[in-house]
Amino acid sequence: MSAAVNRLDGGDVLAETAPSFDLPSQLDQLERYRHWATTPLKVDPVLSVVIPAYNETQRILPTIGAVVSHVCSLEPSWELIISDDGSSDGTRRIVRELGLVNLKVVETPTNTGKGGAVRRGVQAARGEFILFADADQATPIEQLELLLGPVKTGEADIAVGSRRAGGADVRGRSLGRRILSDGLRRLVKLGFGLSHGDTQCGFKLFSRDAAERLFAVQRIDGFSFDLELLYIASRVGLRVVDVPVRWFDSPGSTVNGGRDTLLFLVDLGRIRLNEALGRYRDPGHGRRNQEGT
Amino acid sequence: MHLEIQSERNGSGGSVVLAGRFDAHEAEPVLTSLTALLADGVSTIGLDLSRVDFIDSTGLAVLTRVMKRARESGGDLVLVAPSTPVRVILELTALDKAFVVSEVGPDIAVGH
Repeated sequence: MSAAVNRLDGGDVLAETAPSFDLPSQLDQLERYRHWATTPLKVDPVLSVVIPAYNETQRILPTIGAVVSHVCSLEPSWELIISDDGSSDGTRRIVRELGLVNLKVVETPTNTGKGGAVRRGVQAARGEFILFADADQATPIEQLELLLGPVKTGEADIAVGSRRAGGADVRGRSLGRRILSDGLRRLVKLGFGLSHGDTQCGFKLFSRDAAERLFAVQRIDGFSFDLELLYIASRVGLRVVDVPVRWFDSPGSTVNGGRDTLLFLVDLGRIRLNEALGRYRDPGHGRRNQEGT
Repeated sequence: MHLEIQSERNGSGGSVVLAGRFDAHEAEPVLTSLTALLADGVSTIGLDLSRVDFIDSTGLAVLTRVMKRARESGGDLVLVAPSTPVRVILELTALDKAFVVSEVGPDIAVGH
Protein backbone atom coordinates (compact mmCIF):
# COMPACT_ATOMS: atom_id res chain seq x y z
CA MET A 1 0.00 0.00 0.00
CA SER A 2 1.20 3.46 -0.65
CA ALA A 3 1.60 5.85 2.22
CA ALA A 4 -0.63 8.61 0.92
CA VAL A 5 0.15 11.79 2.78
CA ASN A 6 -2.67 14.26 3.11
CA ARG A 7 -1.26 17.12 5.07
CA LEU A 8 -3.16 20.31 5.35
CA ASP A 9 -0.03 22.38 4.82
CA GLY A 10 1.28 20.28 1.94
CA GLY A 11 4.44 19.06 3.65
CA ASP A 12 5.37 15.61 4.81
CA VAL A 13 6.57 15.75 8.38
CA LEU A 14 6.34 11.98 8.74
CA ALA A 15 8.98 11.49 6.08
CA GLU A 16 11.54 12.92 8.42
CA THR A 17 13.61 10.66 10.59
CA ALA A 18 12.90 10.82 14.29
CA PRO A 19 15.76 13.00 15.51
CA SER A 20 15.18 15.70 12.90
CA PHE A 21 11.64 16.58 13.91
CA ASP A 22 11.40 20.28 14.43
CA LEU A 23 8.50 20.86 16.74
CA PRO A 24 6.51 24.00 16.13
CA SER A 25 6.35 26.78 18.67
CA GLN A 26 3.88 26.39 21.53
CA LEU A 27 1.46 28.86 20.00
CA ASP A 28 1.61 27.03 16.69
CA GLN A 29 1.10 23.73 18.51
CA LEU A 30 -2.02 25.07 20.16
CA GLU A 31 -3.38 26.37 16.86
CA ARG A 32 -2.78 23.00 15.21
CA TYR A 33 -4.58 21.27 18.06
CA ARG A 34 -7.56 23.61 17.87
CA HIS A 35 -7.80 23.14 14.10
CA TRP A 36 -7.67 19.35 14.45
CA ALA A 37 -10.21 19.43 17.26
CA THR A 38 -12.79 21.37 15.22
CA THR A 39 -12.20 20.49 11.56
CA PRO A 40 -13.25 17.04 10.35
CA LEU A 41 -10.77 15.28 8.08
CA LYS A 42 -12.00 15.11 4.50
CA VAL A 43 -9.79 12.19 3.48
CA ASP A 44 -8.45 9.09 5.16
CA PRO A 45 -5.81 10.04 7.72
CA VAL A 46 -2.12 9.32 7.53
CA LEU A 47 -2.07 8.08 11.12
CA SER A 48 -4.55 6.46 13.49
CA VAL A 49 -3.86 6.27 17.21
CA VAL A 50 -5.88 3.61 19.01
CA ILE A 51 -6.18 3.66 22.80
CA PRO A 52 -7.99 0.77 24.49
CA ALA A 53 -9.84 1.88 27.60
CA TYR A 54 -11.65 0.08 30.38
CA ASN A 55 -12.92 2.12 33.34
CA GLU A 56 -10.40 4.87 32.71
CA THR A 57 -12.23 7.98 33.92
CA GLN A 58 -9.25 8.89 36.11
CA ARG A 59 -6.58 8.55 33.46
CA ILE A 60 -8.12 9.03 30.05
CA LEU A 61 -8.37 12.82 29.82
CA PRO A 62 -4.72 13.58 30.68
CA THR A 63 -3.70 10.86 28.24
CA ILE A 64 -5.89 12.30 25.48
CA GLY A 65 -4.48 15.75 26.20
CA ALA A 66 -0.89 14.55 25.93
CA VAL A 67 -1.59 12.55 22.77
CA VAL A 68 -3.51 15.23 20.88
CA SER A 69 -1.08 18.02 21.71
CA HIS A 70 1.91 15.98 20.59
CA VAL A 71 0.50 14.26 17.50
CA CYS A 72 -1.08 17.50 16.23
CA SER A 73 2.40 19.05 16.35
CA LEU A 74 3.69 16.31 14.02
CA GLU A 75 0.90 15.50 11.63
CA PRO A 76 -2.42 17.25 10.98
CA SER A 77 -3.94 14.30 9.17
CA TRP A 78 -4.63 11.84 11.94
CA GLU A 79 -7.46 10.38 13.96
CA LEU A 80 -7.74 9.26 17.56
CA ILE A 81 -9.78 6.18 18.40
CA ILE A 82 -10.74 5.38 21.96
CA SER A 83 -11.80 1.75 21.99
CA ASP A 84 -13.93 1.44 25.07
CA ASP A 85 -14.13 -2.09 26.41
CA GLY A 86 -17.50 -2.05 28.11
CA SER A 87 -16.59 0.47 30.80
CA SER A 88 -19.10 0.93 33.59
CA ASP A 89 -17.64 4.14 35.03
CA GLY A 90 -18.63 6.71 32.42
CA THR A 91 -15.43 6.59 30.35
CA ARG A 92 -17.40 6.65 27.07
CA ARG A 93 -19.47 9.61 28.15
CA ILE A 94 -16.60 11.83 29.24
CA VAL A 95 -14.67 11.08 26.06
CA ARG A 96 -17.66 11.79 23.83
CA GLU A 97 -18.41 15.01 25.68
CA LEU A 98 -15.01 16.39 24.69
CA GLY A 99 -16.51 17.00 21.25
CA LEU A 100 -13.23 16.52 19.38
CA VAL A 101 -14.37 15.96 15.80
CA ASN A 102 -11.54 13.62 14.80
CA LEU A 103 -11.86 11.51 17.91
CA LYS A 104 -13.92 8.38 17.43
CA VAL A 105 -15.28 6.23 20.27
CA VAL A 106 -15.57 2.53 19.47
CA GLU A 107 -17.66 0.70 22.00
CA THR A 108 -18.95 -2.68 23.03
CA PRO A 109 -21.60 -3.46 25.65
CA THR A 110 -19.50 -5.97 27.59
CA ASN A 111 -15.91 -6.14 28.81
CA THR A 112 -13.94 -8.47 26.54
CA GLY A 113 -10.31 -7.76 27.44
CA LYS A 114 -7.55 -5.57 26.05
CA GLY A 115 -6.98 -7.72 22.96
CA GLY A 116 -10.60 -7.38 21.91
CA ALA A 117 -10.55 -3.63 22.50
CA VAL A 118 -7.39 -3.15 20.45
CA ARG A 119 -8.74 -5.33 17.63
CA ARG A 120 -12.01 -3.38 17.39
CA GLY A 121 -10.12 -0.10 17.50
CA VAL A 122 -7.61 -1.10 14.83
CA GLN A 123 -10.34 -2.48 12.58
CA ALA A 124 -12.14 0.86 12.81
CA ALA A 125 -8.95 2.78 11.97
CA ARG A 126 -8.49 4.34 8.53
CA GLY A 127 -4.85 5.47 8.80
CA GLU A 128 -1.93 4.36 6.65
CA PHE A 129 -0.10 3.83 9.91
CA ILE A 130 -1.78 2.60 13.07
CA LEU A 131 -0.39 2.97 16.57
CA PHE A 132 -1.92 1.42 19.62
CA ALA A 133 -0.92 2.93 22.93
CA ASP A 134 -1.99 2.14 26.48
CA ALA A 135 -4.33 4.52 28.28
CA ASP A 136 -1.87 5.21 31.08
CA GLN A 137 0.81 6.95 28.98
CA ALA A 138 3.37 4.55 30.48
CA THR A 139 5.18 4.89 27.16
CA PRO A 140 4.97 8.63 26.50
CA ILE A 141 3.48 9.55 23.12
CA GLU A 142 6.71 11.41 22.31
CA GLN A 143 8.15 7.97 21.47
CA LEU A 144 5.84 7.76 18.45
CA GLU A 145 8.43 9.10 16.01
CA LEU A 146 10.87 6.37 16.97
CA LEU A 147 8.38 3.69 15.89
CA LEU A 148 7.09 5.55 12.88
CA GLY A 149 10.53 5.95 11.28
CA PRO A 150 11.24 2.30 10.34
CA VAL A 151 7.66 1.59 9.23
CA LYS A 152 7.40 4.76 7.21
CA THR A 153 10.63 4.03 5.37
CA GLY A 154 9.55 0.46 4.64
CA GLU A 155 12.30 -1.05 6.76
CA ALA A 156 9.66 -2.82 8.88
CA ASP A 157 5.95 -3.65 8.79
CA ILE A 158 5.59 -3.46 12.56
CA ALA A 159 7.54 -1.47 15.15
CA VAL A 160 7.31 -2.73 18.69
CA GLY A 161 8.09 -0.56 21.69
CA SER A 162 10.56 -2.47 23.83
CA ARG A 163 11.61 -2.01 27.44
CA ARG A 164 14.44 -4.46 26.95
CA ALA A 165 16.07 -3.33 23.73
CA GLY A 166 19.39 -1.54 24.15
CA GLY A 167 18.84 2.11 24.99
CA ALA A 168 15.43 1.64 26.62
CA ASP A 169 14.81 3.86 29.63
CA VAL A 170 12.58 2.14 32.18
CA ARG A 171 11.53 3.90 35.39
CA GLY A 172 9.78 2.53 38.41
CA ARG A 173 9.24 -1.05 37.29
CA SER A 174 8.97 -3.22 40.37
CA LEU A 175 11.28 -6.18 41.00
CA GLY A 176 8.26 -8.49 40.97
CA ARG A 177 7.16 -7.32 37.53
CA ARG A 178 10.73 -7.61 36.21
CA ILE A 179 11.04 -11.19 37.42
CA LEU A 180 7.62 -12.11 36.07
CA SER A 181 8.38 -10.49 32.74
CA ASP A 182 11.76 -12.24 32.44
CA GLY A 183 10.17 -15.60 33.17
CA LEU A 184 7.44 -15.13 30.57
CA ARG A 185 9.98 -13.88 28.02
CA ARG A 186 12.04 -17.05 28.42
CA LEU A 187 8.90 -19.14 28.10
CA VAL A 188 7.89 -17.33 24.93
CA LYS A 189 11.33 -17.82 23.42
CA LEU A 190 11.33 -21.49 24.30
CA GLY A 191 7.77 -22.25 23.24
CA PHE A 192 7.39 -20.02 20.18
CA GLY A 193 10.89 -19.24 19.03
CA LEU A 194 10.22 -15.52 19.29
CA SER A 195 13.30 -13.57 20.27
CA HIS A 196 11.60 -10.26 21.05
CA GLY A 197 12.82 -8.92 24.36
CA ASP A 198 9.43 -7.44 25.18
CA THR A 199 6.21 -8.73 23.65
CA GLN A 200 3.88 -6.97 26.10
CA CYS A 201 4.75 -3.27 25.90
CA GLY A 202 1.55 -1.42 25.06
CA PHE A 203 3.03 0.68 22.30
CA LYS A 204 3.11 -0.87 18.82
CA LEU A 205 2.84 0.60 15.36
CA PHE A 206 1.66 -1.19 12.20
CA SER A 207 1.54 -0.42 8.53
CA ARG A 208 -2.05 -0.60 7.34
CA ASP A 209 -1.38 -3.77 5.36
CA ALA A 210 0.20 -5.49 8.36
CA ALA A 211 -2.67 -4.44 10.63
CA GLU A 212 -5.31 -5.74 8.22
CA ARG A 213 -3.56 -9.08 7.85
CA LEU A 214 -2.90 -9.58 11.55
CA PHE A 215 -6.16 -8.42 13.05
CA ALA A 216 -8.23 -10.40 10.53
CA VAL A 217 -7.03 -13.63 12.14
CA GLN A 218 -5.99 -12.56 15.66
CA ARG A 219 -8.38 -14.08 18.20
CA ILE A 220 -7.22 -13.64 21.77
CA ASP A 221 -9.20 -11.02 23.68
CA GLY A 222 -7.00 -10.90 26.79
CA PHE A 223 -3.66 -9.24 27.34
CA SER A 224 -1.70 -12.08 25.62
CA PHE A 225 -2.90 -10.76 22.28
CA ASP A 226 0.45 -8.97 21.83
CA LEU A 227 2.25 -12.28 21.81
CA GLU A 228 -0.33 -13.74 19.43
CA LEU A 229 0.16 -10.82 17.02
CA LEU A 230 3.94 -11.23 17.01
CA TYR A 231 3.60 -14.96 16.54
CA ILE A 232 1.28 -14.53 13.56
CA ALA A 233 3.60 -11.85 12.17
CA SER A 234 6.54 -14.27 12.30
CA ARG A 235 4.48 -16.97 10.57
CA VAL A 236 3.33 -14.79 7.68
CA GLY A 237 6.70 -13.16 7.16
CA LEU A 238 5.97 -9.64 8.34
CA ARG A 239 9.06 -7.71 9.36
CA VAL A 240 9.12 -6.63 13.00
CA VAL A 241 11.61 -4.25 14.58
CA ASP A 242 12.08 -3.79 18.33
CA VAL A 243 12.48 -0.14 19.23
CA PRO A 244 13.83 0.91 22.64
CA VAL A 245 11.43 3.28 24.38
CA ARG A 246 11.10 5.26 27.57
CA TRP A 247 8.65 3.68 29.95
CA PHE A 248 7.30 4.85 33.29
CA ASP A 249 5.50 2.60 35.70
CA SER A 250 1.99 3.91 36.04
CA PRO A 251 0.17 3.67 39.35
CA GLY A 252 -3.23 2.07 38.96
CA SER A 253 -1.98 -0.60 36.59
CA THR A 254 -4.55 -3.34 36.13
CA VAL A 255 -1.87 -6.03 35.81
CA ASN A 256 -2.37 -8.78 38.41
CA GLY A 257 0.74 -10.98 38.59
CA GLY A 258 -0.75 -14.33 39.61
CA ARG A 259 -3.99 -14.15 37.67
CA ASP A 260 -2.39 -12.75 34.54
CA THR A 261 0.43 -15.30 34.56
CA LEU A 262 -2.13 -18.08 34.67
CA LEU A 263 -4.14 -16.52 31.86
CA PHE A 264 -0.95 -16.03 29.87
CA LEU A 265 -0.09 -19.70 30.17
CA VAL A 266 -3.60 -20.70 29.09
CA ASP A 267 -3.31 -18.35 26.12
CA LEU A 268 0.00 -19.90 25.07
CA GLY A 269 -1.90 -23.15 24.74
CA ARG A 270 -4.71 -21.45 22.82
CA ILE A 271 -2.25 -19.96 20.36
CA ARG A 272 -0.78 -23.41 19.74
CA LEU A 273 -4.28 -24.84 19.29
CA ASN A 274 -5.32 -22.07 16.89
CA GLU A 275 -2.17 -22.70 14.91
CA ALA A 276 -2.88 -26.44 14.76
CA LEU A 277 -6.44 -25.75 13.58
CA GLY A 278 -5.21 -23.50 10.79
CA ARG A 279 -6.82 -20.36 12.16
CA TYR A 280 -3.83 -18.14 11.45
CA ARG A 281 -3.83 -18.47 7.67
CA ASP A 282 -2.80 -15.17 6.17
CA PRO A 283 -5.81 -13.59 4.41
CA GLY A 284 -3.43 -11.18 2.70
CA HIS A 285 -1.58 -14.08 1.15
CA GLY A 286 -4.74 -15.54 -0.39
CA ARG A 287 -5.90 -12.14 -1.52
CA ARG A 288 -2.65 -11.46 -3.31
CA ASN A 289 -2.75 -14.87 -5.01
CA GLN A 290 -6.29 -14.18 -6.24
CA GLU A 291 -5.31 -10.76 -7.50
CA GLY A 292 -2.40 -12.31 -9.36
CA THR A 293 -4.46 -14.93 -11.19
CA MET B 1 12.74 10.67 40.14
CA HIS B 2 11.58 12.01 36.80
CA LEU B 3 10.44 15.44 37.92
CA GLU B 4 12.75 18.26 38.95
CA ILE B 5 11.38 20.61 41.61
CA GLN B 6 12.90 23.99 42.40
CA SER B 7 11.27 26.02 45.12
CA GLU B 8 12.08 29.57 46.14
CA ARG B 9 10.63 32.10 48.54
CA ASN B 10 10.71 35.80 47.66
CA GLY B 11 9.34 37.95 50.47
CA SER B 12 5.66 37.09 50.93
CA GLY B 13 5.51 35.28 47.59
CA GLY B 14 6.90 32.01 46.44
CA SER B 15 7.74 30.32 43.20
CA VAL B 16 8.10 26.69 42.26
CA VAL B 17 9.47 25.44 38.96
CA LEU B 18 8.71 21.90 37.78
CA ALA B 19 10.41 20.11 34.90
CA GLY B 20 9.56 16.64 33.61
CA ARG B 21 6.65 14.28 34.11
CA PHE B 22 4.28 15.14 36.93
CA ASP B 23 2.48 11.90 37.74
CA ALA B 24 1.32 10.03 40.82
CA HIS B 25 4.90 9.06 41.68
CA GLU B 26 5.77 12.75 42.06
CA ALA B 27 2.61 13.91 43.81
CA GLU B 28 4.00 13.71 47.32
CA PRO B 29 7.21 15.74 46.79
CA VAL B 30 5.32 18.41 44.85
CA LEU B 31 2.60 18.61 47.50
CA THR B 32 5.25 18.84 50.22
CA SER B 33 7.10 21.60 48.38
CA LEU B 34 3.96 23.68 47.77
CA THR B 35 2.41 23.22 51.21
CA ALA B 36 5.75 24.05 52.87
CA LEU B 37 5.60 27.48 51.23
CA LEU B 38 2.01 27.99 52.42
CA ALA B 39 2.95 26.87 55.94
CA ASP B 40 5.81 29.34 55.83
CA GLY B 41 3.38 32.22 55.35
CA VAL B 42 3.47 32.49 51.57
CA SER B 43 0.00 33.34 50.31
CA THR B 44 0.39 33.23 46.55
CA ILE B 45 2.61 30.77 44.71
CA GLY B 46 3.61 30.96 41.06
CA LEU B 47 4.01 27.46 39.68
CA ASP B 48 6.05 27.33 36.50
CA LEU B 49 4.77 24.48 34.29
CA SER B 50 6.57 25.46 31.09
CA ARG B 51 8.82 22.41 31.20
CA VAL B 52 6.26 19.85 32.36
CA ASP B 53 5.52 17.44 29.51
CA PHE B 54 2.76 15.42 31.16
CA ILE B 55 0.50 15.75 34.15
CA ASP B 56 -1.83 12.96 35.24
CA SER B 57 -5.00 13.08 37.30
CA THR B 58 -3.10 12.76 40.57
CA GLY B 59 -0.94 15.74 39.61
CA LEU B 60 -4.08 17.71 38.77
CA ALA B 61 -5.57 16.75 42.13
CA VAL B 62 -2.46 18.08 43.91
CA LEU B 63 -2.74 21.40 42.10
CA THR B 64 -6.44 21.67 42.92
CA ARG B 65 -5.84 20.89 46.59
CA VAL B 66 -3.07 23.47 46.94
CA MET B 67 -5.07 26.08 45.02
CA LYS B 68 -8.01 25.64 47.44
CA ARG B 69 -5.76 25.90 50.48
CA ALA B 70 -4.06 29.02 49.13
CA ARG B 71 -7.42 30.68 48.39
CA GLU B 72 -8.70 29.86 51.87
CA SER B 73 -5.89 31.99 53.25
CA GLY B 74 -6.47 34.84 50.80
CA GLY B 75 -3.82 33.86 48.28
CA ASP B 76 -3.73 31.71 45.16
CA LEU B 77 -1.83 29.16 43.17
CA VAL B 78 -1.02 30.72 39.81
CA LEU B 79 -0.08 28.38 36.96
CA VAL B 80 2.67 29.99 34.95
CA ALA B 81 3.27 29.42 31.22
CA PRO B 82 1.95 25.85 31.03
CA SER B 83 3.46 23.79 28.22
CA THR B 84 1.13 22.89 25.36
CA PRO B 85 0.39 19.37 26.65
CA VAL B 86 -0.41 20.72 30.11
CA ARG B 87 -2.53 23.53 28.65
CA VAL B 88 -4.53 21.06 26.56
CA ILE B 89 -4.95 18.71 29.53
CA LEU B 90 -6.22 21.65 31.62
CA GLU B 91 -8.68 22.52 28.85
CA LEU B 92 -9.97 18.97 28.41
CA THR B 93 -10.53 18.59 32.13
CA ALA B 94 -12.08 22.10 32.29
CA LEU B 95 -9.56 23.02 34.99
CA ASP B 96 -8.33 25.95 32.90
CA LYS B 97 -11.44 27.75 34.18
CA ALA B 98 -10.67 26.96 37.80
CA PHE B 99 -7.06 28.19 37.89
CA VAL B 100 -5.48 31.54 37.25
CA VAL B 101 -3.07 30.99 34.37
CA SER B 102 -0.30 33.51 33.75
CA GLU B 103 2.05 33.77 30.80
CA VAL B 104 4.78 35.60 32.72
CA GLY B 105 7.45 34.18 35.03
CA PRO B 106 6.45 32.86 38.45
CA ASP B 107 8.01 35.79 40.32
CA ILE B 108 6.19 38.37 38.20
CA ALA B 109 2.98 36.33 38.29
CA VAL B 110 2.79 36.67 42.05
CA GLY B 111 3.79 40.32 42.07
CA HIS B 112 7.51 40.21 42.90
